[in-house]
Amino acid sequence: MSMDLSISRFWRKKEIIYKLSGAKCKSCGKVHYPPKNACPYCGSREIELIELPRKGKLISYTTIYAIPEGARHQSPIYYGLIDLGVTKITAELTDIVNANSLKKDMEVEATLRKTQEDRDAGLIYYVLKFRPVLV
Amino acid sequence: MVVYVEGVGMTKIDRHYDYSLKDLAANAAFAAIEQAGGIDGIDYLVFSSSLSPLQDNQLDTASYLATSLGLRGIKALNVEAGEASGLAAISVAKSLLESHQADKVLVIGAEKLNEFVSSKVYKQLQMLYDGDTKSFYNIGYAGDAAILMRLYMDTYNVDREVMSYWPALMHSNAKENPYAMLNFAIKPDKVAKSQILADPITLLDSYPLGDGAAAIVLSNKDMSTSPIAKISAVESSTGYGSIELSDDPLLFDSLSEAYRRISNIADTSNLDFIEIHDSFTITAMVILETLGLAKRGKAAELVSTGYFSPGGKGPLANPSGGLKARGHPLGATGVYQIAESSLQIANKFPGIKVNNAKKGLVVSLNGLGSSSYVALVEGV
Amino acid sequence: MVSPKAGIHGWGAYIPIYRLPLADIAKIWGWHPDQYKGLAVESKAVAGPDEDSLTMGYEAAYNAIKRSKIEPKKISAIFFGTESKPYAVKPSATIIGEALGITPFTMASDLEFACRAASEGMRSLIGMASSGLIDYGLAIGSDTAQANPGDVLEFTAASGAAAFVIGRTNNASAIIEDSVTFVTDTPDFWRRASQPYPLHGEGFTGEPAYFYHIENAVKALLERNGLKPSDFDYAIFHQPNGKFPVKIGQDLGFNMDQMKDGLVTPMIGNTYNASALMGLARVLDKAKPGQKILLAPFGSGAGSDAYFITVTDEVENRKQLAPTVEDYLNRKVLIDYASYAKSRSIIHVIK
Repeated sequence: MSMDLSISRFWRKKEIIYKLSGAKCKSCGKVHYPPKNACPYCGSREIELIELPRKGKLISYTTIYAIPEGARHQSPIYYGLIDLGVTKITAELTDIVNANSLKKDMEVEATLRKTQEDRDAGLIYYVLKFRPVLV
Repeated sequence: MVVYVEGVGMTKIDRHYDYSLKDLAANAAFAAIEQAGGIDGIDYLVFSSSLSPLQDNQLDTASYLATSLGLRGIKALNVEAGEASGLAAISVAKSLLESHQADKVLVIGAEKLNEFVSSKVYKQLQMLYDGDTKSFYNIGYAGDAAILMRLYMDTYNVDREVMSYWPALMHSNAKENPYAMLNFAIKPDKVAKSQILADPITLLDSYPLGDGAAAIVLSNKDMSTSPIAKISAVESSTGYGSIELSDDPLLFDSLSEAYRRISNIADTSNLDFIEIHDSFTITAMVILETLGLAKRGKAAELVSTGYFSPGGKGPLANPSGGLKARGHPLGATGVYQIAESSLQIANKFPGIKVNNAKKGLVVSLNGLGSSSYVALVEGV
Repeated sequence: MVSPKAGIHGWGAYIPIYRLPLADIAKIWGWHPDQYKGLAVESKAVAGPDEDSLTMGYEAAYNAIKRSKIEPKKISAIFFGTESKPYAVKPSATIIGEALGITPFTMASDLEFACRAASEGMRSLIGMASSGLIDYGLAIGSDTAQANPGDVLEFTAASGAAAFVIGRTNNASAIIEDSVTFVTDTPDFWRRASQPYPLHGEGFTGEPAYFYHIENAVKALLERNGLKPSDFDYAIFHQPNGKFPVKIGQDLGFNMDQMKDGLVTPMIGNTYNASALMGLARVLDKAKPGQKILLAPFGSGAGSDAYFITVTDEVENRKQLAPTVEDYLNRKVLIDYASYAKSRSIIHVIK
């Protein structure tokens, strides 16, 4: 029996991944994602979790063909740098019809999708990916 | 404090299916030891590798290697800093010498990237980037660099054609380097046409997956016999290593800091050559701009004018062929860079020779700059 | 005894972007057009490679919660009705519940009753909410419907989800006035535990199953409420294809005007647990205060529910709070059989 995907590593982060919880520094006010143990900007440990906006704009993007093992089913992988206003994040993009439809400043919104799957019997990881806004 | 390069050794970078990691390490180490005049006085082994625990199924490699090389009983240490492991190892070796915990250090960098099929290696290479949440994605090893490249091209209005001069220059230099993995020339227009890894990064924008080892024998002044070069200063810094965290992602903040630190303790002006970390074309462009060797947004253009080419007005960039064409066996790369620079200074480099080279700057970093190392190599 | 009433506070749906034209399926498996034209479906919605019933159910539920205007933590029961869950054991309901911010103080389970599992969940929530056991509950119907490749079922087995937040009647967008469930042991369609695809009885799925159970449930509902078909503005039936719901509707005395807004299958195929329920979501997207809705989901095995629902003034305040079924219907990209086969893992691969 082989289990390649960790149970606890994902479970520990599910709150942050499912809710897109970022961290706001009470000292300098800057927001970062995912939350670190201290503010990466000013070093303060006074940080609190905040839910980030679920809509944003694409600043940059790529279509990935050199994919890691286990990802062939979802290839090509679309990946983007997204401006959520309070902070920027990188996230996989989904529902992209083809690479040409990706444009700078495209409005995108978060939704839950599968990412890594441990073959036939292991865990499925679900994360928030971003897709072109519906309305 | 200055440390002295007594001897260097390198293997050609290639898919060495018939050599193990320790075989490659031994190959490079024995050559370095020979040039340094023998094993007498070597009291420390610093080993740098990034993926060897996964590729080679070996932990505490430095210790097993010490015994394997006939150096049983010497002190040994593994250093890992992702792609910057090699220069990190040099930095540690220098500290050991400066603090007199060692008199003569053998630094070996070795890496194998072909023990598994490429899709498995891409998954391993993804670990070079911030794993907190990115490790749950399927972005492989070029995803973040691709986002940075598009950001650069959009921000500065630089087109694909101009970006292609760097890979062409690297290949042109590597063609003369017998240790290089890809020693053949390419024309710039071939870069855009080659296989897309992560759009806009193509195969010819990216380092190849090669196996290799490089070794250096370093000593402090008292133990130095006939050094071929000296390392005047090594500095480093950690940084965001992330596009999304940085307010200015088109500069590597860790490199800015490392360079500032080294400039405070050494004279980094009038460089004859540089060996920089061009894991991808975009990495090289951002490094050149971070170091101030090119104006913001103008690095690609400057490269295209021949400024950094042999015979150009600027310091020669990557006479070895760089990570792009000489190759990038992750943990070994920084050691290759120091070995090449030392040979360059000593007028012994078997490839492109920099006339009257007295001063070279070596830059190594991991990923998008989670850490950066800068070293100044000079003539004795 | 007066049946307890409950309120539909929020409703939501989700349809994947991909559509497979039925003609493509026919071409691969050697069907003559006449053999599938009678299904009255033009293309079917297909979940993408990174989607499953869980992700679709999540989005439909997210939309429903938005429309309900309540904090997710106020929901204390989640019923996830599906026959295509990603884990046979490991409730999708807890993953969705966690992702939506509903957990931990909530009931949660995945239900099975072919295409009416979610409806069973909704029926349960009526009692739970009206009795005060819970304030709000979430019923989700979601399926990436599977059919043996080459079987006629493949033409209509589609992907989609619908979700409803159920609570007490005050401030609801619609009131569930009454409901009836009618079940028997009828083996019209089934899937053995370890099998990837179901088997079905073809013609047997019609009269003895679909028609018999819907007829009995609806007639019982109408009778005990003293209602006739003309009392309703909308009639929504379980829709395995474009023909069956129209036939049962007409047999029962409803006309096309009443049925057309609740018919989604002709555009996207049969989304199983989201079939009738997505019809309800579409109707609520358009309905006016005071209008009356008949809803009759059906599930093989077999059973049907019949609901009598009235729309309130509040519905007008809720429609625009989330994407409508029409928004999802309009978002489409045609794919071919190969893409569908890959996406739905019909192609055998070594992982």
